[in-house]
Amino acid sequence: MKKKDIYTLGILIILTIATALFSNNSSTFKYITFIILGLSTTKFLLVVFNFMELKKANSFWKIIVVSYLIIFSTILLIVNT
Amino acid sequence: MKNTEINYKNIYYPPGGILMWILIFLELVTFGIALIALVVNSKEDPQLFHQSRLALNTTFGALNTVFLLTSGFFMATTVHQLKQSNNQKASLYLNLTMLGGLLFLLLKSLEYYLKINEGYTLGYNSFFTFYWLLTGFHVIHVLVGLVILLFMQNGIKKSSAKLEDVEASAAFWHMCDLIWLLLFPVLYLIL
Repeated sequence: MKKKDIYTLGILIILTIATALFSNNSSTFKYITFIILGLSTTKFLLVVFNFMELKKANSFWKIIVVSYLIIFSTILLIVNT
Repeated sequence: MKNTEINYKNIYYPPGGILMWILIFLELVTFGIALIALVVNSKEDPQLFHQSRLALNTTFGALNTVFLLTSGFFMATTVHQLKQSNNQKASLYLNLTMLGGLLFLLLKSLEYYLKINEGYTLGYNSFFTFYWLLTGFHVIHVLVGLVILLFMQNGIKKSSAKLEDVEASAAFWHMCDLIWLLLFPVLYLIL
């Protein structure tokens, strides 16, 4: 069991709880969609780079994953605002 | 365990294999387009979508996220143990991976049962049509993933599984996490 993976799991769980808490207090935060999507994007990247070991892969795959996330989040933010 | 050295830095050999990554991107793009369509639709009647979204149980959604993430962690550990040729430990962690998937399905079934009892079926409104289709297709992916993992478990026990195959199965399983990480915030939180 890799220590780094245990830390990653801990961060992922904390971020999940934070996301749920933020959404329950949505009226207090003006930029709630931005915060929730930001936290979810971070979780996505942690899974892809640490658990799926994409950090070891060719830069092409890293660029394509990050590009996908940027495009998806931007479209969602534009449509939702 | 048949173990061969793979040069992951080669563009044609990402961890899990190039075909699996093409599949992962196709899935992510498909679910991504469906989620964007959901948000675009919500602009036609924001109040209806917001009220419908509030009918979903955020705690169930968050718990399911934790189940899938923990399962993904055990999957990563399984692959790590196989690379160390610890087949017994790998088999144990693969069982824990499948347990995470089963817990996800159990909670999802409970959520579906409660929603059906409350009358929120596929045709209730546009939001619930999206909810049932998106989560339903995701559940099918989890079920397929569990079947693949069962085959891998059999292969590990018989020491006939190749590391590349286990890595490809792991990539498929992680893909289920990734899809859920997109579905959860959009369906349960931001509308």
